[in-house]
Amino acid sequence: MSAPLLEIAGLSAGYGEVPVLSGVGLVIQPGEIVTLVGSNGAGKTTLLRAVSRVIAGRGTLRFDGHDLLTHTPEQVFGLGLVQVPEGRQLFDKMSVEDNLKMGAYRRKDEAGIARSFERVYELFPRMKERRTQIAGSLSGGEQQMCAIARALMAAPKLLAVDEMSLGLAPVVVDQLLAVLAEIRKQGVTVLLVEQDVFAAFTVADRGYVMETGRIVREGAISVLSNDPEVQKAYLGVQ
Amino acid sequence: MQLFAQILVNGILLGGLYGLMALGMGLVWGVLNIVNLAHGALIMLGGYAVYYLYTKGGIDPFAALPIAMVLLFLFGYLLQRFLLNLIVRSAQLNTLLITFGLDVVFVYLAQLLFSADFRTINPPYAGSNIDVGGVTIPYAQLAAFLVAIFLAAILFLFLDRTRTGRAIRATAQNLTAARLYGVNPRRIYALTFGTGAALAGAAGGLYGVVSQITPYIGVTLTAKSFVIAILGGLDKPIGVILGGLLLGIAEAMTALYLDPTFTDIISFGLLVLVLVAKPAQILGRA
Repeated sequence: MSAPLLEIAGLSAGYGEVPVLSGVGLVIQPGEIVTLVGSNGAGKTTLLRAVSRVIAGRGTLRFDGHDLLTHTPEQVFGLGLVQVPEGRQLFDKMSVEDNLKMGAYRRKDEAGIARSFERVYELFPRMKERRTQIAGSLSGGEQQMCAIARALMAAPKLLAVDEMSLGLAPVVVDQLLAVLAEIRKQGVTVLLVEQDVFAAFTVADRGYVMETGRIVREGAISVLSNDPEVQKAYLGVQ
Repeated sequence: MQLFAQILVNGILLGGLYGLMALGMGLVWGVLNIVNLAHGALIMLGGYAVYYLYTKGGIDPFAALPIAMVLLFLFGYLLQRFLLNLIVRSAQLNTLLITFGLDVVFVYLAQLLFSADFRTINPPYAGSNIDVGGVTIPYAQLAAFLVAIFLAAILFLFLDRTRTGRAIRATAQNLTAARLYGVNPRRIYALTFGTGAALAGAAGGLYGVVSQITPYIGVTLTAKSFVIAILGGLDKPIGVILGGLLLGIAEAMTALYLDPTFTDIISFGLLVLVLVAKPAQILGRA
């Protein structure tokens, strides 16, 4: 097996004196779709914050051969670990196209940016149709598409999507999940952080279940979805 | 009727300059959430810069404008980088206190360095004008108006079309997301404040050509810029210019039909009206 793209081991992190994560371990191989599931307040977003170095952490944190603990958030972004934040965080008063250009803000390769535009518009034909529209006027599903498209413009190696399904209709979520599968085919590794376990399991290869700051289950989706505890707690199976 | 046309033209020419004054204030307010009470003082400093470039350096005031803009840009950039970045996006009261303090410092330094005497930038063509259907248009005023419109258009294109302009808008709209995608807010804030100061500098130079400068002109001009920036909308250069035209015409009409001493009552009356009518827009920009 090749070296993992992201390797987290024994990671502890929190806010000030309040510890949230304790001894978290998580590994993502290149080309995988991995999902991190758990209920509200389990520490999933805190884990993303620690990985992107917005908050301090202790333990092992390696991405693409680099020790992230010596990196600033800007440097982590520069290495190709790009987030689609919870709540989408679009530039509401800008056009779709300007939002996408902001995704490529730190890139200098004009030809590469043009190729990314083509790829993103192929993935999201709707974004091409709406490219002059103001992002704040899009529907919820389109806003999430715009947020994912903006992140892809940064040419990520790992795309970390936080609560993609939040507030969206199931049919829209299905479309977005299909796009994630397509993104992976194009060589981008995906970390999907979700409360909607059922949706996440339809697209992921492997999963991690988080409860009160610890990983309590991990494995292939086929194994996890047959785990009685997981079924009872997250999949509504009695 | 001819008198009315003349007054209207005077108001429009003055209003373009007012719009330019407010552009820098609105930009800084919208992006940094700083109501810069020293904005008028920056206009005043721009006026003196052009005055001395002309009287001591022999440079035509309109040619001196870009030099004054560069000087004010650098001044504003450094001011933001080393002082105002400490309080950016903090409580509005802090920004008001510190910019008020800066205003006092600038005014008294100007009084010390330049004396309290009235100064007018008086190029040889200052008295010439053209006559259009009985309406007199002074060249200097017309040129000042055109420069103001030109700079507003440049600002619009800069914000709308360039990479840095987009980053400035992005930072104003969603700081979290801007940082997430690699924007350095401190650099953007300093660039924005520098740009606001440069626009103030240009406005000051033009003000010195069409009117008189003293160290004390800033207070009134800050208040007028404040009113216009709110009227026009902080993130719309074209709206701000229209707001300036509105105030310029209102002042000119007041001077004609009521009394010239009433003109400031118009702008400060508008200030009160705006505060009463749109408090949410002023306070809701945290």
